[in-house]
Amino acid sequence: MLVHLQGPWTPLLGRLTLQQIPFHVPILVVTFIVVAILAAVVLGATTYFGKWGYLWREWLTTVDHKKIGVMYILLGLVMLLRGFVDALMIRTQQAMAVGPSSPGYMGAVHGYLTPFHLGQIFTAHGLIMIVFAATPLLVGLMNIIVPLQIGARDMAYPYLNALGLWLTTAGAALVMVSLFVGNFAHGGWYGFVPYFELSYSPGVGVDYWMWSFQLAAIGTSLGSINLIATIVKMRAPGMTWMRMPMFTWASLSTNLIALTSFPVLMVTLALLGMDRYLGTHFYTAGMGGNLMLYNDLFWVWGHPEVYFLILPAFGIMSEIIPTFSEKTLFGYATMVIASFAIGGVAWGVWLHHFFTMAAAPSVNSFYSVTTMLVGIPTGVKVFNWIFTMYRGRVRYELPMLWALLALFLLLVGGMSGMMNAFASSDYMWHNSLFVVAHFHMMVLVIAASVFGAVEYWFPKVFGFKLEQKWGKWFFWFMILGTGWVFVPMFLLGFGGMTRRLDYIHYTQWSPYLHIMLIGMVFYVIAVVFFVAHLYISLRDRAKNRAGADAWGSGRSLEWATHSPVPAYNFAITPHVNARDEWAWRKENGLTELHPGDYESIHMPKNTGVPLFLGILFMGLAFALIWRIWWLALLCVALIVVLIILRSFDHDTDMTIPAEDVEQVESDARDETSTAIRPAGVLGGTAIAHSTLQSGTGGISGSTSPSWTPMDR
Amino acid sequence: MTEHTQNPLNHPEVQLANGRAYLASFIISMLLMTAGLWLAVTHITTPFGTVLVTSLLAGVVVIIQGYFILHMDISHAQMWHTVAMVLFLPLFVVTIGLTAWMFHGLYQRTMIMPPAASSVINIPPMPSMSH
Amino acid sequence: MSASAAQKVDPAHATLWARRYPGHDMIGTRTFGFWLYMLTDAMVYAALFATLGVLSHVVNLAGGPSSSAFINPVYAYGETITLFLSVLIYGYSMVALKNGNRGGVIGSMFAAMLLGVVYLVIAGIDIGNMFAHGIVPQVSGFLSIFFTLIIYHALHILVGVVWMLVMMVQIAREGFSANVVYRLINLRLFWHFQAVIWTFVFTFVYLQGMVA
Repeated sequence: MLVHLQGPWTPLLGRLTLQQIPFHVPILVVTFIVVAILAAVVLGATTYFGKWGYLWREWLTTVDHKKIGVMYILLGLVMLLRGFVDALMIRTQQAMAVGPSSPGYMGAVHGYLTPFHLGQIFTAHGLIMIVFAATPLLVGLMNIIVPLQIGARDMAYPYLNALGLWLTTAGAALVMVSLFVGNFAHGGWYGFVPYFELSYSPGVGVDYWMWSFQLAAIGTSLGSINLIATIVKMRAPGMTWMRMPMFTWASLSTNLIALTSFPVLMVTLALLGMDRYLGTHFYTAGMGGNLMLYNDLFWVWGHPEVYFLILPAFGIMSEIIPTFSEKTLFGYATMVIASFAIGGVAWGVWLHHFFTMAAAPSVNSFYSVTTMLVGIPTGVKVFNWIFTMYRGRVRYELPMLWALLALFLLLVGGMSGMMNAFASSDYMWHNSLFVVAHFHMMVLVIAASVFGAVEYWFPKVFGFKLEQKWGKWFFWFMILGTGWVFVPMFLLGFGGMTRRLDYIHYTQWSPYLHIMLIGMVFYVIAVVFFVAHLYISLRDRAKNRAGADAWGSGRSLEWATHSPVPAYNFAITPHVNARDEWAWRKENGLTELHPGDYESIHMPKNTGVPLFLGILFMGLAFALIWRIWWLALLCVALIVVLIILRSFDHDTDMTIPAEDVEQVESDARDETSTAIRPAGVLGGTAIAHSTLQSGTGGISGSTSPSWTPMDR
Repeated sequence: MTEHTQNPLNHPEVQLANGRAYLASFIISMLLMTAGLWLAVTHITTPFGTVLVTSLLAGVVVIIQGYFILHMDISHAQMWHTVAMVLFLPLFVVTIGLTAWMFHGLYQRTMIMPPAASSVINIPPMPSMSH
Repeated sequence: MSASAAQKVDPAHATLWARRYPGHDMIGTRTFGFWLYMLTDAMVYAALFATLGVLSHVVNLAGGPSSSAFINPVYAYGETITLFLSVLIYGYSMVALKNGNRGGVIGSMFAAMLLGVVYLVIAGIDIGNMFAHGIVPQVSGFLSIFFTLIIYHALHILVGVVWMLVMMVQIAREGFSANVVYRLINLRLFWHFQAVIWTFVFTFVYLQGMVA
């Protein structure tokens, strides 16, 4: 059944030989040395400080939705950095390789990257940014915030939650492994057929791409099932549908998109896999295959996926803007409808990614019109945010600045998107930099929202706010970078430059490419400021302690528990009485967070099974990439056995006794006036595994609650 | 909510089991599928007619099965199952329907070939399938 | 939970904390999540059926046989009978569960599992026959999707059979605990869903393939 392969193959190691390690590429050798040193430092430090037990107990085996969310976000940030380095390399190459007389270095005819290497970089950049940076960042935020916003103790399936994290991480790790063992796909992140078929891409690059993508798809689908079930089934009493915070609504609609669309991606990739491994003819150029079927199936997933990414960003903006306008969200019901309208329309627009396929005019017109329809609910949202700010008491703190940047970028990206919606125009700029600039505006909306969300919810998770000074430098340099990179990119797109060029013939484009490179320098400086921002915040965390209502004007339920949040979220499940429950309680002086008379709490127990499953799935994918059949079979067998064994395990739950809850809660009360302990991120021994701290006066039960922000 | 957490067998999703409904679903499904098979084997109508009628029969069978054995109804216990399915249904239609529509047009415009031409194509030998 | 957001709650008499809140319905939450998973599986089938639609043009035969040339309705009909019968008997197993009859549950489940094995044998013979005649997925785009659909469905039956085996052991070991009961309901959803999918596979792959 299996396809005959060219090249060496041994039963023990499959296609893996020593020649597959890229010793001859200086960039990768240097990268490897840096990575090895960093890894040695991290592992050494963990051993030196004796933190392995802590790491294992508190993080690797955790089923706590907050910790899983934090790990998702860490994964997202690491991969964001990797994707950013890729972008830096692409921009440098394009600035260097202009005109026939441009010199070449390190084996390249022009610039410093060979076309094969550049191809891997832009493929990795796209895949990483979409699947391993934006998705984990947003999934992590939803993981942390949604259960808090609906007053739940945890997600519906804590074990599955951890499994989703480790599968996604396994996919990301595979992309990283491909740097040093073998190579990565070099045909663009969404793949091309028949180029990605075995006869045209016989290497392992496409297999790496395919299996890491597949793992991320499975992980994200599991996460979406979990979030939907959590929102539908686990809401606190009184949390009716129309009282749900907007971020929870956005999470629901976005996960419905993920739930429905990711299976199609799995099919798309699986059929490609069958072509490559079994020699079937789904996407082949001859033998009854159909090239366009691949594009069709891919974008059936691909377009909903775009909205899967943007809707949580909208949700974040809908939380930040009311908080910093000190006003309830304008047009709540229309916001809900708009979220679901976007989710619905997302399912009928996918052909606009390949208008040039030569479909019938009626088909192209249909997809043009549906694409333009997206503008209506999005416009509703934009106006609602503006009306929320109108006559509000707007405070320009960091989260708000990021939300406003996201709003501005949404206008630019959305308007250029409307231009792309015309099939007739698309014929002119299909695959040009104009399209690239458009969707980068949209993903920067996501990036800006995510940074805003991290600033906004950081005190909720860790108990202290991030400092403002370096954060603002970071913010402004991100704007500078965005302007300098993407305005020239729009112009180059109008000029006719197509995407993914390893060599640019027209020297008159050179100034634009150099301006973009300057923009990248601003981005690099921004990254430095971001690191400084985190470092200074961590160093000065004692100064930036935050109470339950960290910003003083929080409105939804997550602000009605201590910061950092105890393991069980709420000592007693809250009863919801109003839409903006916390704002309602503050208005009515009901801000007491120590109801007393605690009961014991039933919680899931930590387990290492999801981590092992993640490792096994990674082993399976690695074995399939290199066609090491014995290892693949072994991994499948172990996965099945592990899943069955786990189902026989009775010891999956634990109970936090009422006394412990009492202790944690009273610690939270006492620390208002006593010495401040390190935050949960650095350790702690209590059952909540994090120290607690209540903040503003309102919490300690005084009659005149003060919820003015601490730094105003 | 508490009473069935005590004894899981009291849970409404256990209690909705219904032997007569399962039997009814079995008999109806078998009858209609047999009818479809009879149509396809005897070629009693045109191919298009057979496609149409068997599709209709499948639709009826699926509705019967959905109601009798998957218990898709609006009772309190099954409400959200039903809502989720109703949410998916249009997407199945969109995925299959719009794809079929797109490729119907595409084939008409790019793969113009008389019906008999397929027999004229010279088929290359199959690639080696070893390993 | 019927109070709508428009109704204002009097803050003087508001309940702020839900004391002795029993928590969510564990079984209902588990089965709901599993049902969502089944629907994603249905989406996988939708994508596969869309592929079948695209690859059913005469050019997709690539000179290979069309399905009307090789489909043997006897096997497909046999699979229909065994699967629907197995689903019926699994249903009776659920009726036994309702009555708390442990022997009834295990006995019916064993019969349902055996029928699943019979299904797999019939499918194996059918597919083996086709392979023996050189009708393999590698011949044409159409045959690729044809075999993918029927083998993917057969894999589900295999998973169901293994799952039933595990569940019989679990029932024998721990009786009808909440964990076992929710898994039995999930297995019911899974197994009964296979009947629904088979209705489509039988109709669109086999019956309509015979007249194509």
